[in-house]
Amino acid sequence: MTEIIMSQTPPILHAPSEKERKYDRQLRLWAASGQSALESANILLVNSGVGAVGAETLKNLVLPGIGRFAIYDEAVVQEADLGINFFLDESWLGRSRSQGLTELISELNPDVQGTWYPSENVKTLESLLVDDSQFTIILYTLPIRQGQLAQLEAYGQRHKTPLVAIHSAGFYSYFQLNLPGAFPIVDTHPDETATTDLRLLSPWPELVAFAEELTKDIDNLDNFEHGHLPYVVILLHYLGQWKASHNGNPPSTYKEKSEFRKLIQAAARTDNAEGGEENFDEAAAAVLKTLATPSLPSGLKEVFDHEHTSPAEQRSGFWLIADAVKQFYEKHGCLPLPGKLPDMKAQSKVYVQLQNIYKAKARKDAAEILEAVRAMPGGDRVDASEVELFCKNAAFVKLVNATGGPHAKTSPASRLKAVAEQEFSNDESASLTLSPLSLLPIYLALQATSHHVDSATPPRADNILAAIAERVPGAERNERVIQAAQEVVRAAGGELHNVAALTGGLVAQETIKIVTKQYIPIDNTCVYDGIAGRCQVLRL
Amino acid sequence: MDPALGRDGTTASAPAAANTVPVVARPLARDGFNAQSLGRGLNAHVKQARVLMVGAGGIGCELLKNLVLTGFGEVHVVDLDTIDLSNLNRQFLFRQEHIKKSKALVAKEVAEKFNPAVKIVAHHANIKDAQFSLEWFSGFTMVFNALDNLDARRHVNKMCLAADVPLIESGTTGFNGQVQVIKKGVTACYDCSPKETPKTFPVCTIRSTPSQPIHCIVWAKSYLLNEIFGLSEDESAFDYSADGDNAKEIAELKRESEALRKIRESVGSPEFHEMIFDKVFNADIVRLRSMEEMWKTRKPPEPLVYSDLLEKAAEALASKDAVLQNDQKVWSLEENLVVFKDSLDRLSQRVLEMKKAVAEGTAQDAIITFDKDDNDTLDFVAASANLRSALFGIDPKSKFDIKQMAGNIIPAIATTNAIVAGLCVLEAFKVLRGEYDKAKEVFLTPFAPARLLASDRSREPNPDCPVCGVFQTRAYVDLSRATLNDLVEDFLKLQLGYGGKDLSVSNEVGILYDPDETDNLDKKLSDLGIKPDSFLTITDEDDEDPFVNVVVAIQEAKQPLEDKPIRGVALENIKIPTKPKKTPAPEAASTVGPDSRIPSEGVSEVLPPAKRPHPESSSEDVVEVVTKKARTVPVIADDDIVVIDDGSWGGGAIVIDDSD
Repeated sequence: MTEIIMSQTPPILHAPSEKERKYDRQLRLWAASGQSALESANILLVNSGVGAVGAETLKNLVLPGIGRFAIYDEAVVQEADLGINFFLDESWLGRSRSQGLTELISELNPDVQGTWYPSENVKTLESLLVDDSQFTIILYTLPIRQGQLAQLEAYGQRHKTPLVAIHSAGFYSYFQLNLPGAFPIVDTHPDETATTDLRLLSPWPELVAFAEELTKDIDNLDNFEHGHLPYVVILLHYLGQWKASHNGNPPSTYKEKSEFRKLIQAAARTDNAEGGEENFDEAAAAVLKTLATPSLPSGLKEVFDHEHTSPAEQRSGFWLIADAVKQFYEKHGCLPLPGKLPDMKAQSKVYVQLQNIYKAKARKDAAEILEAVRAMPGGDRVDASEVELFCKNAAFVKLVNATGGPHAKTSPASRLKAVAEQEFSNDESASLTLSPLSLLPIYLALQATSHHVDSATPPRADNILAAIAERVPGAERNERVIQAAQEVVRAAGGELHNVAALTGGLVAQETIKIVTKQYIPIDNTCVYDGIAGRCQVLRL
Repeated sequence: MDPALGRDGTTASAPAAANTVPVVARPLARDGFNAQSLGRGLNAHVKQARVLMVGAGGIGCELLKNLVLTGFGEVHVVDLDTIDLSNLNRQFLFRQEHIKKSKALVAKEVAEKFNPAVKIVAHHANIKDAQFSLEWFSGFTMVFNALDNLDARRHVNKMCLAADVPLIESGTTGFNGQVQVIKKGVTACYDCSPKETPKTFPVCTIRSTPSQPIHCIVWAKSYLLNEIFGLSEDESAFDYSADGDNAKEIAELKRESEALRKIRESVGSPEFHEMIFDKVFNADIVRLRSMEEMWKTRKPPEPLVYSDLLEKAAEALASKDAVLQNDQKVWSLEENLVVFKDSLDRLSQRVLEMKKAVAEGTAQDAIITFDKDDNDTLDFVAASANLRSALFGIDPKSKFDIKQMAGNIIPAIATTNAIVAGLCVLEAFKVLRGEYDKAKEVFLTPFAPARLLASDRSREPNPDCPVCGVFQTRAYVDLSRATLNDLVEDFLKLQLGYGGKDLSVSNEVGILYDPDETDNLDKKLSDLGIKPDSFLTITDEDDEDPFVNVVVAIQEAKQPLEDKPIRGVALENIKIPTKPKKTPAPEAASTVGPDSRIPSEGVSEVLPPAKRPHPESSSEDVVEVVTKKARTVPVIADDDIVVIDDGSWGGGAIVIDDSD
């Protein structure tokens, strides 16, 4: 069924090291796992309208090496395309834009396979979508015919395929991620320093024993040993002392923690050459950060509270592990230990011992969770490395679009009304709060031309405002909405290459997050105003 | 859009859906969309603009495409670099077949096809070359910086300020990026906020007491590799100044280096590996261990014995090829030995061939310097660094990680560059309209859930900025005869109004003249290293109402000057302002306004640049050189300095909030 344009030049087989060299700079962001997800991806671009933003987006996905792409584009290349679309030159005038873009974008990366439609055998979008080929994600540019949009949405629901809508006109643009349901991300790449979890308020027996052994005769240690006690051990020792004099409670308020910090500072020896001890300084500095009672992070709470919308979802590896972690949390009152020990002043030997205590505990926790997963129906298919990754990142797991998708409790239409009410009321007090004005008017104005595919008769302001009035009654009288509508009229359906290029960068970035399931994608609409040079993300 | 009509017969037949779509024509001309959205006035400005783009790499490729399609009339591209395989994941103007070719030339060739109306001029050259004079800069409507290093950015910043040409400065790191508009006297310049300078390490940390993997990597790259194959020790990576107390140890280290240089002569002999290994992983370590003072609070290093390790490495030797292929795995001690030996062989072979070529007169020198993309040097540095780490009980690293640390690699992707380049052109529109009040400083905030970009109104110039907080002027000089005295007496005192004031004259090296330092007065400026486009800073030493610092750009006089060998420009108008009285810092400027939230990771405003002059000699025992005399100095290349990545980029900005 599919016609492979690149068949005359088969993809070059690179030695693995060559490929790694080519992708070196991005492997440092999403590692081999992310790259492999990209290389398995098959992306469909339904390029409608002027189509420059679609080409720019795809370029940014082909360069880092997605596996395959297909372009569905019914347009024929015209003079104006050449002025805005970098990939088309004069030789393409009068020919299929879909073919031209596919051939020229494919040249960017011989590792990527491109296909174009409509073709001899697949003449319509509908017939492309009934074909059994599975797209990882579908990008479409606006304006698009209503019927085609409905076909895409149906496909998205049927195959649980994320859809991304992109609209760029003049200085304005927006894009919207439409995920097919709750979208969990384990590898969220939290900030390194935030991931430290020392468990000082709920240490396990091995850690307690280790600390006690090192500090049982703390006052008689020589200066070298005293100055090399790891700060974790120092804190545990003085916590013990504190609890003994505070009914067994650790310092909990800010005031108590400050007192505790002073206690640590006072315990440092000053009669040495340095006049103080670095390890005690480290301990004092860590008091506020490490003595916080662990609470369930909101992202993970959302995961725990999530109601499954389909049996298939429930059986996926992520949700089985999530259930096991939830059981673990309910049983132990804490999450599995990530196991990483930050660098600290210590004798090398002692540091390595301490590191092993943390690692051993982390392995034990992960093993307990793996066992629980294995005991569940379908749990034998879950990979141990997936469990390990979850345990390491548990505190930072994030559920995107938890309440969206086809099973959402509120309809998109009522959500839009609610967001509009909120945004316009914020704007009324914006001059007092010094907060930036909402970009929702731009979204409304562009959205009103979503199906305005007839470029011979540019959109008119009264039509745009009438369409807005239907969706958000009253908004058509808002001064900024009227201005945005006029600006959309001025652009006359045209794209500005530069805004298209910028938007293409933003869209490709979010697409990569979804495909690699790494980093947190926006939720769910990003509006860009090239006149003010601003962006806003709205949950619509 | 019309899917069917106008389609030529060779492509696929018209889709059925065509019947249901209204047939429309799109009669727009090539720049129709631009004319529509930009408006006729701005579109005309764009077509007339003559712009310079410095750097044709990640941002440069995207930016050139945007400039060409936006219709900028003439674009000059300057880049010194050639294309590397690792560029292809984002620098989309380049393909496999362009590897090793000039970035500037290929970028021009590829991009100009897409808009015949635009003239592109490519320069495969260093922007700091003398050909890119102040006058040349003055000929542009604006300049775009698409650079990857501090040194060149600073240079262009300075030139643009001196020529009063607006500059659009941009940069990216991984998912982060930023854009700022620099206009003399109106917005902050690149140097208005201090920039993080490349990190140097105390020499003793590198040579005697390493405690982190980076210390061993710097040792392998800047000391070991250079002593064996390069131009001897790479001074720029080390900081001698902090080691005043360790003069004895430094002298000892110097002797060690000399001994190593002697071994270098044995390159090619079968015992070469063992000689090097014994020297740096055994003999030097045994000596170090004997310094008992040093190990009172540290674990002493354990010397390695070549023959013992080699015996254990039989298995690793057998699977050498597999080991060399695997750059993600952390090699075992034995595997490191195997890579050490193998890479040393490869490098020795190369040096022997180079020596032959030198003898035959076909090459100039026989030296190898570190290049992160030169696998032989990378293998050698990785294995040597790990062997050294093993002695000191430091965790070894994978070759992949060592490449990043030794090569100062910054993660880079297409998407970020596309966004930043797009922002650059949007700011350029404001510059073309002269709307500097609307110019923004924009940051990418990829981890901020509520927006992906944060823009702030441009900062005002910092009155204390050493680069733009000065009065700038030019002097036309007959360099064949002008002396420093001519400059001071005829130009500064008579023409600029310094008569009766105490003043000092300095350049980037140090002070040339002040009331106590008059030795240079009779020297010719050219003998003091002053060339066309040299900058001199004039400081008013008076306490009462002193002039602001004046920076004089030296220009070669075009016509022969008659009596005096120095002449200024538009003298009747010159009035140097006096230094402002100290007032509280105008912080309000950056905190009001609707878009005032700057992401914390957006700027690196930390360390002030090191002000330590570099000695002209290569003597190793220099502690702190405070000199008033100007000297000619070699400029440090950016690539030679290892920068510690503090990890503040790239991660999510998630902070555990202590609710107390």
